[in-house]
Amino acid sequence: MSVSADWSWQRVALAGMRDALMLPAWIVGFGLIGIGSLARDVGYPVDVAVLSTILVWAGPSQVLFFASIAAGAAWSAIVIAIAFASLRFLPMTMAILPLLRRPGQSVWQQLLLAHYVAVTAWSEGLRRLPGIAPHQRVAYFLGFANTCMAVSSLGTFAGYYLLGALPVPFAAGLLCLTPMFFLISLLAGLRHRGDAAALLLGLAFAPISARFIGGGFDLIVAGLIAGTLAFLIGRRRKPA
Amino acid sequence: MTQPIAMLDGPLWPYLALLLFAVLPTEIWRWLAVGFSRGLSNDSPLLEWVRAVATALLAGIVAKLIVAPPGVLAAAPSWVRVAALVAAAAVMLFDKRRMMLAVLAGEAVLIGGVWLFAG
Repeated sequence: MSVSADWSWQRVALAGMRDALMLPAWIVGFGLIGIGSLARDVGYPVDVAVLSTILVWAGPSQVLFFASIAAGAAWSAIVIAIAFASLRFLPMTMAILPLLRRPGQSVWQQLLLAHYVAVTAWSEGLRRLPGIAPHQRVAYFLGFANTCMAVSSLGTFAGYYLLGALPVPFAAGLLCLTPMFFLISLLAGLRHRGDAAALLLGLAFAPISARFIGGGFDLIVAGLIAGTLAFLIGRRRKPA
Repeated sequence: MTQPIAMLDGPLWPYLALLLFAVLPTEIWRWLAVGFSRGLSNDSPLLEWVRAVATALLAGIVAKLIVAPPGVLAAAPSWVRVAALVAAAAVMLFDKRRMMLAVLAGEAVLIGGVWLFAG
C-alpha cells in the first residue's frame, strides 16, 4: 500500500507491518521453521534456536551453524564458512543504508537498521522505500522488518517441536521456500537491464564457480564477476 | 557433534557458541557496511555496482541451493527443483505483483513432484 507524506510515524510503522503480513513475513517465517528442528537435533535449547533467528537473522548462517555442529565440524571452520556465506551483507547493507539515512542519525541507529538487512527486508526495502518520503522510511522499515522477525521467531519456535512429524514432500516444500522466495524477491525488484543481467549471470556463474573454486570462496568470486559484468551491461545503456 | 571448547563449557555454552560462531561472523559485515557507506550518495556508480554484486550473490545462492540442496530437499529430483523455480519465475514474469501466486505455483510443482516421482 502507499504511504502518505503527512502520516504520523505510528501510522507509517503500521503500514510497514501490514505490508509484511501481506506475504513476506509468512514466507520468512515458514522458511525458518527448519532452523528449529536443526537446533533440536544438536540438543541446543529452544531459546538458542529462537535467539539465532533474532540475533543472526540470516537463514543460511543459521543452517550452517546448526548443521555444522551436527556434522562435527571444527569451530574455526564453522566461523569461516558463516563469514563467507554472510559476505553478501556488506554490499546489500551498503546498498540500502543510503535510502534510510537521515541528517543527525547516530551511528547506533544505523547499526540497528543494518541488523535487519536480510534478503526480505533488503529486496522489499529497495523496491518500496524510494516511493516513501525520506522522513518516514525508518519507521516503515522497522515496522516491516520487526514484523518479519516476530513471525519468524514463532516459526522457529514451532519448528523446534513440530518439523520431524511432517511428511517428506511438505518438509521438502518448506526447505524450497528459501531459494524460491529469494528468486521471487529479486524478480519483483528488477528495475532495468543491469538488474536482469545480474540475476541471470549470478544464477549461471555460481554452479560453475562451485565446480572450480573451493574453500568457500566460490560464491564471492561468482558474485563479483557476475555483478561487475551486469554493472557494465547496465551502464552501457545509459546515455553518457 | 562438535564438542564445546572445554575452557568455556557450562550451561551457557550454547548461547556463547551462538554469539561467537554465528552472530559475530554474520553481523560483522552489516557493521562494516555502516562504516563504508558513510558519504555514499544514493545514485553513485559505486553503489550501482555494489547493488549488482549483491543481486548476483543472491541469485548465486538460489542456484547453489537448487544444485546442491540441503537436507530433505534432496529427496526432490533435480528437474523437479528446477521446474518449481521456473513455475514461480513464470508467474512473476507474467505479473510482478503476483508474489503469492508465484510461491503457490512453485510449491505446488515441488510438493506434487516429490509426491509423484520420489516415492
